[in-house]
Amino acid sequence: MKVQVNRTVVDIFDGARAQHAVLRYLVHRRLSQALLKQGRIQDAYGHEIGLDAPLHEGQIIKFKV
Amino acid sequence: MKKLFLTVAAVFLLASAAFAEKKEIRILSVNDIHAKIENMPQLAAIVDSLRAIYPDMLVMSAGDNRTGEPLNDLYEVPTYPMVALMNQIGFDCSTLGNHEFDGGQTGLATVTHLSNFPYICCNIHPDPKWGINTIPYKVFVIDDVRIAVIGAVQVGKAGHPDSHPDNVTDILFTPVEETLQEYKWLADENDVVILLTHIGYEQDVELSQYVPWADIIIGGHSHTQVNGGEVHNGVMITQVVNRLDNVTFITLTVQDGKVVDRKAENIKVEGYPKKNTAVAELLRFFSDNPAFKRVLATLTAPMTSYEELGCMMTDAWRVETGADLAFTNTGGVRYDYLPAGPFTVSDVLRLDPFGNDSVQMELTGQEFKDMLIATTYADSEYGFPKVSGVNCEVIFDKKNPEKIKDLKITLPDGGKFDLKKTYKVTTNSYTAAIANSPRKDQGRALNRTTASLIQEYLEHQGTIDYTGVCRVKQSVSAK
Repeated sequence: MKVQVNRTVVDIFDGARAQHAVLRYLVHRRLSQALLKQGRIQDAYGHEIGLDAPLHEGQIIKFKV
Repeated sequence: MKKLFLTVAAVFLLASAAFAEKKEIRILSVNDIHAKIENMPQLAAIVDSLRAIYPDMLVMSAGDNRTGEPLNDLYEVPTYPMVALMNQIGFDCSTLGNHEFDGGQTGLATVTHLSNFPYICCNIHPDPKWGINTIPYKVFVIDDVRIAVIGAVQVGKAGHPDSHPDNVTDILFTPVEETLQEYKWLADENDVVILLTHIGYEQDVELSQYVPWADIIIGGHSHTQVNGGEVHNGVMITQVVNRLDNVTFITLTVQDGKVVDRKAENIKVEGYPKKNTAVAELLRFFSDNPAFKRVLATLTAPMTSYEELGCMMTDAWRVETGADLAFTNTGGVRYDYLPAGPFTVSDVLRLDPFGNDSVQMELTGQEFKDMLIATTYADSEYGFPKVSGVNCEVIFDKKNPEKIKDLKITLPDGGKFDLKKTYKVTTNSYTAAIANSPRKDQGRALNRTTASLIQEYLEHQGTIDYTGVCRVKQSVSAK
């Protein structure tokens, strides 16, 4: 499924959680995976969501450090 | 005289209607606890202190009470610790989350029968043979105020909640919004309507436009931290982030049979300074879990390297998921020695402690090869992955030792590995995420943790011996 992390569309397995999409985003952007634990993940409404939050096709999330 | 009496009576009735008593209903709601049992004593203390002031307060869960803590999920009666702790706290109801199905149909049936509170869910229709005990709605009456609670669980693309398909066979799930509409009549007969849903925040917002007859949606599933409550399309929506970090305390003001005011605020559970001692004692009891000492298999010889343990892990994933090939990032193998003798549940959880899900995909040989290389680069601290179903010969570049110069893959019998053939491949969710290589199929989560696959494999094998097993040979190029 495709989800959007910041402005990057990542293609990730069905059933992926927020942390998986962010990990793929970090690898894609050649950033350290350690940033995952230092940042915050938000949904399209700006609400904080957990690392284990389930994702759905087309979902937009934001990752901020 | 009679006319005067009627006029006075009418004025009196009008006045009493205008000044009808306002009543306040209190609800404490949680969602997606995911078996964070260590925070249950703090939750109990919060419930105690609120019930001291509001003895009729309702305590509800919007589902996913289990899955996420081995102490709970691997208990002799799986998830019994959570059930017992929720019983002790005095939950009034819960809806079903998709993870309530992780223990299979009989596991869920056991949970529903051991719980002192009902599981409310209108869109589940299990075959009676399972004995799953749920109700579509429940009406609570507090201080003459009638509160209808209707539950619903998410239905994924596959037509069932996101759990392993084997866990939901012979259970029919109907669409959430359509099914909830069948209970619209409850709004006519009750003062308050609460939808206790496990469908996700964005879906709750969408749902709100179709259920103007509901007063509040207490939601779960997406682990969304809503700041107290938000009103969308006239319906208040609440939800908190997962693992019992926060709870939501809701006050509904009811007058003349309708809700005239709604307030919701968050209370922090993590770090709450007080604990309920009875719940803390129960937790201590459950923490000394004999199930972790259970012997799954016997090792006839010690396992003495990451390679041997990685080969066993990936064999387990391949065999237990019916795949052709399996692999793991080497960082996912957490120790390199285990003495001969019993291989216990605890040993498995130390070996594979991350709670990773298993992911299966259909890959061509070339895509598999690319994925092994991409995993090596993304997991660079640990090197080339551990594999099952093939042997690998990796040659790193002498000038740039982190770069793979050549990778030869052969079948276990030494035969040619076909780069054009399609293989069913299983890996863990972490590896599937970090391996950023081109492939048509990104795969799908199997909703079975990789640790559970290892446990099943060991139990099926009975005895194992991986002495000298080595499938990955690594060298550095001459030039």
